[in-house]
Amino acid sequence: MEMIKTVDLHKSFGELKVLKGVNETIEKGEVVSVIGPSGGGKSTFLRCLNLLEKPEEGKIYFEGTEITGNLTKEEKHMIREGKLPKPAKVDIDIHRQKMGMVFQHFNVFPHLTVAKNITLAPMMLKGKSEAEATQMAKDLLNRVGLLDKYDEMPSNLSGGQKQRLAIIRALAMEPDVMLFDEPTSALDPEMVGEVLDVIKGLVSSGMTSVIVTHEMRFAREVSDRVLFMAEGNILEKGAPDQLFDHPTHPRLQDFLAKVL
Amino acid sequence: MDFSLFLPNMLSIWSKYWQLFLFTGLKNTLILTIISVALGTVLGTLIAMMKMSKLKAIRFIASVYIEVIRGTPILLQLYVFYFVLPNIFTFLKLSQFMWVSVSLCINSSAYVSEVIRSGIQAVDKGQTEAARSLGFSEGQTMLKIVLPQAVRNILPALGNEFIMMLKETSLASTFFLGDIMTSYLVVKGVSYLTLEPLTIVAIIYLCVTYPLSKLVEKFGKKMANPNSYRNRKLKAGGKI
Ligand SMILES: Nc1ncnc2c1ncn2[C@@H]1O[C@H](COP(=O)(O)OP(=O)(O)O)[C@@H](O)[C@H]1O
Ligand SMILES: [Mg+2]
Repeated sequence: MEMIKTVDLHKSFGELKVLKGVNETIEKGEVVSVIGPSGGGKSTFLRCLNLLEKPEEGKIYFEGTEITGNLTKEEKHMIREGKLPKPAKVDIDIHRQKMGMVFQHFNVFPHLTVAKNITLAPMMLKGKSEAEATQMAKDLLNRVGLLDKYDEMPSNLSGGQKQRLAIIRALAMEPDVMLFDEPTSALDPEMVGEVLDVIKGLVSSGMTSVIVTHEMRFAREVSDRVLFMAEGNILEKGAPDQLFDHPTHPRLQDFLAKVL
Repeated sequence: MDFSLFLPNMLSIWSKYWQLFLFTGLKNTLILTIISVALGTVLGTLIAMMKMSKLKAIRFIASVYIEVIRGTPILLQLYVFYFVLPNIFTFLKLSQFMWVSVSLCINSSAYVSEVIRSGIQAVDKGQTEAARSLGFSEGQTMLKIVLPQAVRNILPALGNEFIMMLKETSLASTFFLGDIMTSYLVVKGVSYLTLEPLTIVAIIYLCVTYPLSKLVEKFGKKMANPNSYRNRKLKAGGKI
């Protein structure tokens, strides 16, 4: 079953064309890593998926629902002629609840306790009772080894701990898919492992995930598929072994030679 | 000039007129300041929201308002509100004191709106993105995530605005409105002394502004480190 499908996705910042027609389908349960040189559009692609960036052109289907509201020329024409009903406005906030996102710089809420970071969204958005949310926070914290930080403020956490908190904050919304944007790039080397372990645990439990990463060994280990993204498009994709061992696109060969 | 009489004169003026200085002058100055900053904050919040509006026309109106008020002298604004507007809005029947308050409030709102706006914009954009990605609406994100963090930037600056306004109200004495500077004019008129009552007035201002600015400073530091209170309590084994 398709979880996310993008069709001919275009995104520019002013004059700069960052995504140039990305077509990709991510199946339910799939773990997809996105690799590629800096500035290639990986973050922008990921951020388009939950509309933190609004693509000017192209469509995104999330669990079958088109969420961008973008129309093709033909559709616009048909609506004008009355042959097609005007599409209903999509409530992106509802869809975002089902897409967890983890950022490079954690973005934990510094004015809330560790527990409140986790419980705020489920209580406000999903109507969870305080007791339910608290129990869930405890279970999640326990799962990532942070239960003793329950009452602390995030400023007392290390980078690795903050990122683990950010991950379970997203999980508390019980999302259908998780998006990771270089979750370990801002971490001191000794903390990378603890965060990767949490992600590994998560994907092995069957969570559909899209992971932008520079950790090639990790990508190879956990991914069902790897996408190589550069110059605003996916230049090569495939199973990790095939992509890493037998790269065909010269840009990918070049990239791997530099990073491996 | 003979300075040998300075201290004795000052003491005699103080003992004769201290009630005028404190119960009339300082009281009116504080009332003017509190009204201006309080209402200025309410109005300033509105202007700040307008300045951050998605609609260009609304942003433009807010910009013009802010630029006009910050770009003209406060004394000029007071003249307009004291001499011009009461003749146009005759039906309003405000006292002269209120017209001056309104003028100071509007002046304050322009400065406060910029304080609020920059306080909000100083909050890391990643905070908004994280909140939106969890599914919070724009309003919920502002209310639960951005504003609580912006308050830490805004409150100290608001304290400074209060101190600034406390000094600016001295311009109300132009219209003899009973603030501290008006007390000075009164005392000067009856005693024919200048330096002595001026010194007293300066000391009264300093007695208010200095502790206030120390308070703002201390508060600002605490705000910059929001966890200090909480953590001290936690480390002491307390429950929050
Ligand atoms: N908000 C933005 N405004 C302007 N340019 C941006 C913005 N975000 C990204 N870009 C530009 O888009 C290009 C792709 O960026 P990004 O998607 O972050 O690449 P990657 O994640 O692969 O390093 C870069 O040239 C970057 O400078
Ligand atoms: Mg990036």
